[in-house]
Amino acid sequence: MTKEEKKIYVNKKGLRLDGRAVDESRPITIKAGVLKNAKGSCYLEWGQNKVLVSVQGPREALPKHIANPFKAIVKFTYRMAAFSVPDRKNPRPGRRDIEISKVCGEALEKSIFLEKYPNTQIEIWAQILDSNAGSRAAALTAASVALADAGIPMKDLVTSVAVGRIDGKIVLDLNKEEEDAPDAVDMPIAMMSNSKEIVLLQMDGLFSKKEWEEAYEVAVKGIEKIKQLQINALKEQFKLEEKEEKKTKTETKEKSVESAKETKTEKKEDKKELKDNKELSKAEAEVQ
Amino acid sequence: MKKIVVPGELVTEQRKRTGDHVFVHNGQIYSDTVGITNNESTTASVVPLKGIYIPKQGDILIGLVVNELFSGFLVDVNSFSLSYMSKDRIREPLKRGSIVSVRVSKTNELNEADVSDARVFYGGEVFAVSPVKVPRIIGKNGSMLDILRKGTNCNFIVGRNGRIWAKGGNVPLLIKAIKKIEAEAHTSNLTNKMAEFLSKQRNII
Repeated sequence: MTKEEKKIYVNKKGLRLDGRAVDESRPITIKAGVLKNAKGSCYLEWGQNKVLVSVQGPREALPKHIANPFKAIVKFTYRMAAFSVPDRKNPRPGRRDIEISKVCGEALEKSIFLEKYPNTQIEIWAQILDSNAGSRAAALTAASVALADAGIPMKDLVTSVAVGRIDGKIVLDLNKEEEDAPDAVDMPIAMMSNSKEIVLLQMDGLFSKKEWEEAYEVAVKGIEKIKQLQINALKEQFKLEEKEEKKTKTETKEKSVESAKETKTEKKEDKKELKDNKELSKAEAEVQ
Repeated sequence: MKKIVVPGELVTEQRKRTGDHVFVHNGQIYSDTVGITNNESTTASVVPLKGIYIPKQGDILIGLVVNELFSGFLVDVNSFSLSYMSKDRIREPLKRGSIVSVRVSKTNELNEADVSDARVFYGGEVFAVSPVKVPRIIGKNGSMLDILRKGTNCNFIVGRNGRIWAKGGNVPLLIKAIKKIEAEAHTSNLTNKMAEFLSKQRNII
């Protein structure tokens, strides 16, 4: 590749190829409780990534020999749809699917109070409908919301994001184009932000110690923002009360305004009557 | 003041007695589930809005007999595993497929329950709601149950496991009302709202 053809991943203004700042993630929308038949569910869109996660359980662990009499076991299944990548993906679970299922399941195990449900299993299915780098972070973030939606007791929500390096600069949430950069480093990180406990950390490439420290700080800031979106998604389901309260408030206001008007008109009428009565009594007196 | 909390959200910084669905981390009390907490209460606790049924001794449940053993029955009570019910002191004939109301006589550390005091239901309908919404369907001292009984003229029994058996009266209206309670369980002044709803529905009919 000649110098002229070389891509500029971060320009002088600090903006990336898609116009984002270096510490800015792609737009995220999270919706909890989208599936009626599952105990808990979540649909997440993270840039081009689209993930649907469902949770079943806790229920009896089967086959019985896998059951643990001291705690529940977590079965995380990460699967990419055949149409989720530009070329058709073989729907058979490959090495990557199995690996991501394992690491994500272990990450969520840290946040769940497993000892409350001995001899049971909690099943989580993450289906990637569309992907463009960062799908494991998206799946883990959505899975955490789905678990909370299922009412499973947890220490904290697990939030995940990828940080990396392109053109020697630390950036948050790499997309596919950035991930394919010649010197790119990609590091998905998942954290329980209350205790700052890291539950997943993988790295493709190498960081210097200074770069790692910078990347960690960028990731923590990103995670805080994404966690707020997770919380909002969970609370969104129970907004009914506030809406109703607003409605009732407006109704009562209208009523009070109406009643005030009525009382005013009544008062006026009363005054008129009084005047009329006075005039009448005067006229009577004059007649007499 | 009541507020909705999510797992890992701070319930209170004050030192309080801890109730259900909270845990202490670094001297502060956090919620472990999605639910409602009340700041004014002397106990820090969260009433869950989502969740599953865990058997407790003394609970009345609606179950389905799924199998017969030599000395007892296996009953599906909407929990992690099937519950065992001894044939001892069962007066009525039971078979697979019978709908029964049972009482939890014993639970163990694996949340398995033994049940007893079976009463068989003949006829009627069984439908399910979320087990965490059952206290709202019952109401304070059964106030909601009274309203539902008066409003629908139904004979019904609410199981703690989220199953409801109903017979007679206006069962479709009862189901409609209970689904409404389930959807609005987190709102306040629900008993009055339901009384209004049922009176409206009766007028329409």
